[in-house]
Amino acid sequence: MTAMEIDTEKNIQRKHSTYQSLDKTFDIQNEIYRGQQYSQIYFARLHTMRTLLYSLVTHWKPSCPCLLMTFISVILEVSGNLEVMVVFRVLDFNGIGCEVYVVDRGHLYMVLVNFISGAFFKFFFSPICNGLGFCTVLGLEEGKECIIVGTLFKHMQLKPCVLDEYSKERSAVPLVKPHNFMHPDDHLVLEDESGRVKLGGTVLSPSTYVTGGVVALHGKETTAGDFLVLDVFEAGLAPQIEPQLKSREDKYVVFISGVSVGSSTSNPLQFQLLVDHITGHLGDEQEQGIAAEIVHVVFAGNSVEIPLGLLNGQNLASKDQSRVSEAVQVLDILLSQIAAGVSVDIMPGSNDPANFALPQQPLNRCLFPGSRTFNTFNSCTNPHCFELDGVRFLGTSGQNIDDLKKYSEARDELEFMERTLKWRHLAPTAPNTLGCYPFTDRDPFLIESCPHVYFVGNQDKYGTRILEGSEGQMVRLISIPKFCNTGLAVVLNLRNLECHTLSFGAQPSTLKTFNDA
Amino acid sequence: MATTPSNMKGFYKLKKNKSGITKPTSSKKSSLHLVPSLGSDITQLTALISHGSPDLKDYHDNHEELMRQFDINMAYGPCLGMSRLARWERAQRLGLNPPIGFEGLLKAEKVRSECWWDGRI
Repeated sequence: MTAMEIDTEKNIQRKHSTYQSLDKTFDIQNEIYRGQQYSQIYFARLHTMRTLLYSLVTHWKPSCPCLLMTFISVILEVSGNLEVMVVFRVLDFNGIGCEVYVVDRGHLYMVLVNFISGAFFKFFFSPICNGLGFCTVLGLEEGKECIIVGTLFKHMQLKPCVLDEYSKERSAVPLVKPHNFMHPDDHLVLEDESGRVKLGGTVLSPSTYVTGGVVALHGKETTAGDFLVLDVFEAGLAPQIEPQLKSREDKYVVFISGVSVGSSTSNPLQFQLLVDHITGHLGDEQEQGIAAEIVHVVFAGNSVEIPLGLLNGQNLASKDQSRVSEAVQVLDILLSQIAAGVSVDIMPGSNDPANFALPQQPLNRCLFPGSRTFNTFNSCTNPHCFELDGVRFLGTSGQNIDDLKKYSEARDELEFMERTLKWRHLAPTAPNTLGCYPFTDRDPFLIESCPHVYFVGNQDKYGTRILEGSEGQMVRLISIPKFCNTGLAVVLNLRNLECHTLSFGAQPSTLKTFNDA
Repeated sequence: MATTPSNMKGFYKLKKNKSGITKPTSSKKSSLHLVPSLGSDITQLTALISHGSPDLKDYHDNHEELMRQFDINMAYGPCLGMSRLARWERAQRLGLNPPIGFEGLLKAEKVRSECWWDGRI
């Protein structure tokens, strides 16, 4: 047996990657509370999504001879055989444009015109969707088919309401909160600035939708005053930017969530094994070679758990004070071991010492005196968006999906994630049931550019899937399980976006093997 | 009641009173700045009096009337909880084309900076 010696020629180098953080929209910075109202964020959301849906809805209903448009203001005649009706309307936030309606041989076509520096123009011919007009809720006419765009509101019987405390009759609703507030009698309502209308019909199933999503609906008003939905249109996946550099070598990103240092269920040996594996202190040369290909580590929330009994608002005795800070100190020690070798992102979760409302601000750097000395250590917001070698990542610590689980149903977490991508909104239930900062000028949770990897932490089980969009977008959806319960970390290969798990166990009988999906 | 300077010193100096509780010799009442000079119903007037002075002149100001129409217009979103300038800038950014003259009015401070309902709801 050869003696172990330090081979200086066979020094394994860790691979590098370019990291760029895109968290600027989630930073609250110097915002001051001056009495902002939540209606402002709903307005920003509705306006942005409505402009987007108006421009996309032409893909929804393909060409057909048409009927009259509801808004026609100026009629101009242009030389030639075309009769031109010009409607000036702002198209989208990129620039001012107008819609030009052109009648050609009895068919009405809509032409989108962009004004570029005052001169002429880019023409996009696109027939009007089936001649249907857009309507506001107040402008609905009975029996007339039209398209309305608005925010969905789901009226739920079992949703806890603060007024229940004051109701005279103690109804049969149990005081213990169920994990899911759905009820067969839930119905959907569509709301825009002018009013709201109850939605009927069988096309829209209330169990799939939640309050806060913006959709376009095709249908007509019934005699009862409801809106009978004939078809639904969601925005779909956002456009995706192709990563410029397609790396040809395997580079891995490790995702961990729910480490819960300091809780009774966490096993410190498991976490130490994980840290040792990432830093290359485990195993032989082959193992170390694999570990050297890890370029980034992401802690997706709930890294620490402070004993709840201590946080009851009372002044802490000195021995209790050390208990509170113990968990964070242990986490700092382990993070500094990782940060010494790899770039680390740590995101706050629901149990972490960060603010409650989304977007959660980065964990304060003074909590990590050891790790913050490394420039590889990044304390990030929740939700977190970053780019690694051109591959775009977007993820949260799980609060958005957990809230969706309470108010709607789906096969698994991946389907909830797919819905949030299709609605182009990370957390549609914010600020209704999910705590949210009252932004007035923008909605930071709108997904403008589709990520390549979308991850959610603190889930019950591991799951992963590739989601394909209508325009060729490909997203890897990852549901990261809680590390303290399962001992699983998720590893993603940047080259081909394939996923597998790393399983750590303290007893041999608890080791499980998982295949990548 | 007129007070001599030495009395004032005795009144403001932080030392324990030897003779128990003494009433302050200065009987200068803190005057209520918002003394209503018109009308007798005080509860009604507190609604009108905001920012420290009765803003009766706002009813007759043409610029204020225009700004009120801007506040009410639903196309620019809710008006509560935002200053008018912030709301105008948001409308500009979202491409809603708010009237450009309003920015000038707001920046020159010819009208109130908060919406019409601010402080009243």
